[in-house]
Amino acid sequence: MSLDNLTSNWSKLRTRRPQPDQYQEAPYKWAMVIDLDACTGCNACTTACYAENNLPVVGKERFLKGQAMHWLRIERYWGEGTEFTQEFPEQGAQFLPMMCQQCEAAPCEIVCPVGATHHTPDGLNSQVYNRCVGSRYCSANCPYKVRYFNWFNYPESAWPSPLELQLNPDVTVRSKGVMEKCTFCVQRLTEAKSKARTEKRTVRDGEVLTACAQACPTSAIHFGNLADSSSEVHRMWKAQQVELSADKQKKDEEREKDEALGKTDEALRGYRVLEDLRTYPSVVYLERIRSSEA
Amino acid sequence: MNEALLEEKDVAIERRFEPKAQDIDDEISWAQINVDVLKSLERPRLLYWVIFFGSLAIFMWGVYCEIYQYKNGLGSADLENPQVWGLYIATFIFWIGMSHSGTLLSAILLIMHADWRKPIYRFAEAMTTFSLMTAGLFVLVHLGRVWQFYYVVAYPNERWAWPNFSSPLVWDATAIGSYLTTSVIFLFFGMIPDLAICRDNATGYRKTFYRVLSLGWRGTDRQWANFRVTYLTLACLLIPLAVSVHSIVATDFAVSQQPGWHTTSFPPYFVAGALYSGCAAIITLFIVLRYTFRFEKYMTIPILEKLCKLTFAISMVWTYLNLIEYAAVWYGTDPIAKQALIFRATGTYAWWWWAMNFFASVLPFTLTWKRLRTNIPIMLVVSVLLNFGMWDERFMIVTPTFAHGYYPWTWTNGWWPNWVQLGIVMGSFGWFNMLFMLFCKIFPSVSMYEVKEMVYHRRVARKTLQTLRPSPDP
Amino acid sequence: MKKRSHILALFADFEEAAVTIAALREASIPGFKMQDVTLKSPIDHPECSAELGQRPVYIQIFSLLGAICGSGLGFLGISSAQANFLRQARGFFPIVPIPPDMVITYELFILGAVFFTITACLIMWRIYRVETDLYDVQISLDKIGILVEAEPKAIASLREIFTSHHALEISGSV
Repeated sequence: MSLDNLTSNWSKLRTRRPQPDQYQEAPYKWAMVIDLDACTGCNACTTACYAENNLPVVGKERFLKGQAMHWLRIERYWGEGTEFTQEFPEQGAQFLPMMCQQCEAAPCEIVCPVGATHHTPDGLNSQVYNRCVGSRYCSANCPYKVRYFNWFNYPESAWPSPLELQLNPDVTVRSKGVMEKCTFCVQRLTEAKSKARTEKRTVRDGEVLTACAQACPTSAIHFGNLADSSSEVHRMWKAQQVELSADKQKKDEEREKDEALGKTDEALRGYRVLEDLRTYPSVVYLERIRSSEA
Repeated sequence: MNEALLEEKDVAIERRFEPKAQDIDDEISWAQINVDVLKSLERPRLLYWVIFFGSLAIFMWGVYCEIYQYKNGLGSADLENPQVWGLYIATFIFWIGMSHSGTLLSAILLIMHADWRKPIYRFAEAMTTFSLMTAGLFVLVHLGRVWQFYYVVAYPNERWAWPNFSSPLVWDATAIGSYLTTSVIFLFFGMIPDLAICRDNATGYRKTFYRVLSLGWRGTDRQWANFRVTYLTLACLLIPLAVSVHSIVATDFAVSQQPGWHTTSFPPYFVAGALYSGCAAIITLFIVLRYTFRFEKYMTIPILEKLCKLTFAISMVWTYLNLIEYAAVWYGTDPIAKQALIFRATGTYAWWWWAMNFFASVLPFTLTWKRLRTNIPIMLVVSVLLNFGMWDERFMIVTPTFAHGYYPWTWTNGWWPNWVQLGIVMGSFGWFNMLFMLFCKIFPSVSMYEVKEMVYHRRVARKTLQTLRPSPDP
Repeated sequence: MKKRSHILALFADFEEAAVTIAALREASIPGFKMQDVTLKSPIDHPECSAELGQRPVYIQIFSLLGAICGSGLGFLGISSAQANFLRQARGFFPIVPIPPDMVITYELFILGAVFFTITACLIMWRIYRVETDLYDVQISLDKIGILVEAEPKAIASLREIFTSHHALEISGSV
């Protein structure tokens, strides 16, 4: 925090984000791959997230009003693409787990008036609860609307005794007026990183998982360190030819080329949601494999 | 041939001295001006107290709603994800917009030498100041953790935590703070000669009050010369500040990617809307003050006509910018923005959108008819409806974009503000009313020295005209 | 310190006052200077004031100074704060982003100019120096006043000039 720091790190501080090989020398860059074909919409991940991060259950009335606090939500879409199958209405539900995409160029970070949201060196979008004054500009700017505001003072009503005993002691309980969102279970990451540091190594692949990745019965959620070239997440990103700093992925380019040629090859499945807005999210979704009927 | 040229020049000079419709009647003596205006500062009648306490009651209701919201959390205002902003931001922008009226009248018309502004700019300036104070309330109402609002200010602290200067909300705070300070200074400064008049005519504790405020004004040539230069300099500084303030408020939306907001025309669009709603509010207050304080000699109908014509001109500028925004979206390449526009016209808020377009673009055409714009009751109703149209416009900017953003899963169709939000909005009107009524009873709402100048210049012009054009012998 | 007396004469309009001032200048009575003649009026009248001689106004220099100070504070304060407190911690953004810094610099530029202007005006009014209590409330009503600060020996001749020019009221210490 000084002139020395400024001058010695000038090139790092001066570059725009994201850069193609930005995390090449970094020890950690947390990322996810979610396989939509494996997702059954069971909501185990959401429940695990509630438990891990002390999320209050708001009740049916407030949920219907849109005041839910689910950091990770399972979105259910009916019908294949734009057509709704009349013949088999109970078939064709698609599930998409949506949480904070930890965007590299997050629209929320730049607009917080008090600077309560930042980007960490290991690639997470951080929310500082005690700095937040609740202007909700970050939520207004988020294209995914994955930021959740504490509309009420949940600590006084959400966990009547003895329910407060099940709260996770590693995670704060937020009062009314602060914004919160998925943190990729940063408390687990911090613990794992510090343990690894004690043992003078980096965190191994699979050593730390987010609560949702851990709970998923079909292993649809893959979590890991993108900077570690041997990690599963890195290999999956590479296999899908998804690049962190691109705003259009190979899959869509290939798809357009194939459609122009009349082919229907579906080899590449990886995409990121709303990436043409150039938010550069850290979560890759693997498109659901569709059969020709239903 | 020389004679012909001379005649032309005479005609041009003569025309300069001819009385225009909006000029004041020069038979009014200066003493009469003092008496008329100071009469408005006397003990108020019953009706004043009724309206004042009515406004206070409405404000208290707003305070109750805010306390309820403060204790229970913002969820009690039925705000939700994604409708996170609600009426507070819309009304905040509305009040900031209304504040541009005073600047327009005082400062812009001052440097354009439009004398007809002189009887009316004082209360317009007061309106500016109080609108800004009301807008400041909404900043506090809107925050989730109100008691930590000072985090937005750059104060030195041991954690080296300063606000995020890249955020448009911090630019807002700076701009509105500057504008409020400068407006108060401008209002107070312009009032100093009038406060001296009040001081000279008051007794008791009021005399002390005015004596302190008038800063030893004695009307000396030195004071007048410096005053004139300072006032003009302040006016020249205030105009770009006013333009920048509402442009910065517009960037709250323009820098965001959300469909319906990401338009570069927003800053001028907002400034035009601000001038528009400010002018409409001036018409409303003009009619009210004229009737209440019997200021018919000063706030004449021709001046009202000038105001109406100005409002019409600004309404057409606003309409153009509004239509340009629709055209840019319609013929543009962003399909989501186009969908957002279609949602505004056909979705949940369609009635409100069409009402906005009607009240703000079609209704101003009543101002083109002389019979309508000289009719006081009709103008009162029209000006209030124009302002309602502009409030609706702010509502239409904020809410439908949240309801129909980029992410289809988040689209909400049935969100409406509840009693808490409406109560606080009403309370803000009560607060503004209270402040304005207090102002009218403590400070002169017509600028006495400027009206004296008007009368003096008319008399000089009349005498000059008589010498140029001597009347034939009877 | 010579003893100074004051005399205040009220006139009905600006023409008479202007004529009187011209007469004062031509009379060249010893014991007072044109510098000590002050015109008091309910409205501003630049032509009549010009009769008193050149009295330049220096306000705008202060406005300029204020603008420079304000914008300097804005830019250096804000941009340096941003660079040191925020950007270093976060990185990957321009150290001095032009749009935010320009906005805040602009606002503080205007605010600085405003503060310096009014301070200069208050100083130029010399409100801190109360020369005399001689003031008539009719000046704020509709009369024009001429106040002269002179030595006692000049007061009598001044009084003569005033009465010969249709002064409505004359007051002052002898």
